[in-house]
Amino acid sequence: MIGVGHMDRRHLLKQSLALGGLAGLGATSQPAMAQRAQLVPIRAHADRIYDIKCCIRPFRTKGPNLTVEQVGDATVIHNYGHHGSGWCLSWGSADMQVQKAMSFAPRKIAVVGSGVIGLTTAVQALRAGMEVTIYTRELLPRTRSYRANGVWGPGTVALASEAQPGLGDIWEQMVRTSWKNFRPYMGMAGSPIAWSEHYELSDTPFDAPPPAPIPMANGEPAPVFYDMGNRIGDITSIPEVLTPELNPFPGVKYARHSTKMFWNFSEYGHLLTTEFFSRGGKIVMRDFHSPSELGHLPEKVIINCPGYAAHDWWRDKSMIPVRGQTEWLIPQPEVNYGLTYRNVETRSKSDGVMVIQIGPEMFAKSWKNSNEIPNRAEAETAVKVVEELMSRFPTRPA
Amino acid sequence: MRTKMMAMAILVLASGAAQARSSIWDGAYTDAQADRGRTAYMQNCSRCHGATLMGTFEIPPLVGRIMPYYSGSSLETFFDYIATAMPLDRPGSLSPATNADIVAYILKTNDVPSGSRELTAAGSKTIQFDVKPRKK
Repeated sequence: MIGVGHMDRRHLLKQSLALGGLAGLGATSQPAMAQRAQLVPIRAHADRIYDIKCCIRPFRTKGPNLTVEQVGDATVIHNYGHHGSGWCLSWGSADMQVQKAMSFAPRKIAVVGSGVIGLTTAVQALRAGMEVTIYTRELLPRTRSYRANGVWGPGTVALASEAQPGLGDIWEQMVRTSWKNFRPYMGMAGSPIAWSEHYELSDTPFDAPPPAPIPMANGEPAPVFYDMGNRIGDITSIPEVLTPELNPFPGVKYARHSTKMFWNFSEYGHLLTTEFFSRGGKIVMRDFHSPSELGHLPEKVIINCPGYAAHDWWRDKSMIPVRGQTEWLIPQPEVNYGLTYRNVETRSKSDGVMVIQIGPEMFAKSWKNSNEIPNRAEAETAVKVVEELMSRFPTRPA
Repeated sequence: MRTKMMAMAILVLASGAAQARSSIWDGAYTDAQADRGRTAYMQNCSRCHGATLMGTFEIPPLVGRIMPYYSGSSLETFFDYIATAMPLDRPGSLSPATNADIVAYILKTNDVPSGSRELTAAGSKTIQFDVKPRKK
């Protein structure tokens, strides 16, 4: 969803456009905008950074673990390793694994973890009529899920050399099921899911040849990811090039426009949690240290949703940490757009203007990096890019 | 001969059972070890978990809730987790002796009393992580 996903989306979009077979969300034969948008500048200054969130994306070389295994007398259905696409894949992955759980006809099930995958899986199981207990060491706001970017744009989830057979089909099913499940949250009070205009800005033409791959910070060559192919162009917003007259950013030579869907975590998380409890779900705060401990739970069908924690508690060494950091400026509800410029992306959410560094250089520093300490210098560097861009807007008279 | 072997086996089993009954509350580390552990903790762990082991909103604390979270397992489970998963940005990079010192410091900070024998990786297998001292 962040960083890598962004690169992949561009790749996917290029493919979709080249093939020309998919209309694309928001794409029409008309110009993107009839007139130049009047934008409120983002108040991007280092002293308006009120939070820096750092997380580890749970990349799994083979793709998400969706297998079923026996631990003692318990059946464990795995649901982890969605890379940076946990929010995007949450409902589809939950649905797929809850169906597997139901095939054992349990009355009660356990869900391990309450990040977006765990909590969504638990709600889906409740909707399916089961009694559900979540076992978790943290509630959603303290999980890594809550430290994501949170924008629609499912990206790759495996290495090309190790992807499990049929991964593309499974991924597409998860994406499409999720997309349909997000629909009922749109238009709700508090905007748990919202849409905003997004501007991709560049000092060079968009069709310029891409730069050479950058080696990873650890010296390894850049990983080759599994290509999800031309699958979801119809539910992916395809950017349209803006003519200079329609480009609302002074001093920026090239601009593209699209519309993006995103989550407001507080509102969306509150709805998921409220539904969980209103359907009778229970939460037990606890930690697990070895798989054998699952055999002691009263529930004998368990859906395991630990995210990156699977690296340690399930000893899944195919999990690779991919660091991500977002910085948050004080909310500006009057800013109704997001932008991408010089490897920095912004998104105006209900709880703040999110700023994130993206692009190949940032990815090279993030791959196999499990340092979860917020980096203030990185945050200020990103905010300065936006600050400089905003300084190009004419000053309004007092 | 056979009787003698059986007697020895019973003795070994009995001593194993006696070892298994050892608890973290029976003096599982020494004060000197916890002092070394404090230095190692400050060098390797405090950047995330904080100088007071309280953690942050996003980083788990190492005081308080770790007692019930690890209760019922052996101290080896706790030791192994630290040895394989920590420090988060370079897991498994510390020596077993340093990890044992850090475990000692964490126990001390959680008001688990020291004793006269140093904690070792091997020794942690026979020590039970009880949330409270057992009633004598």
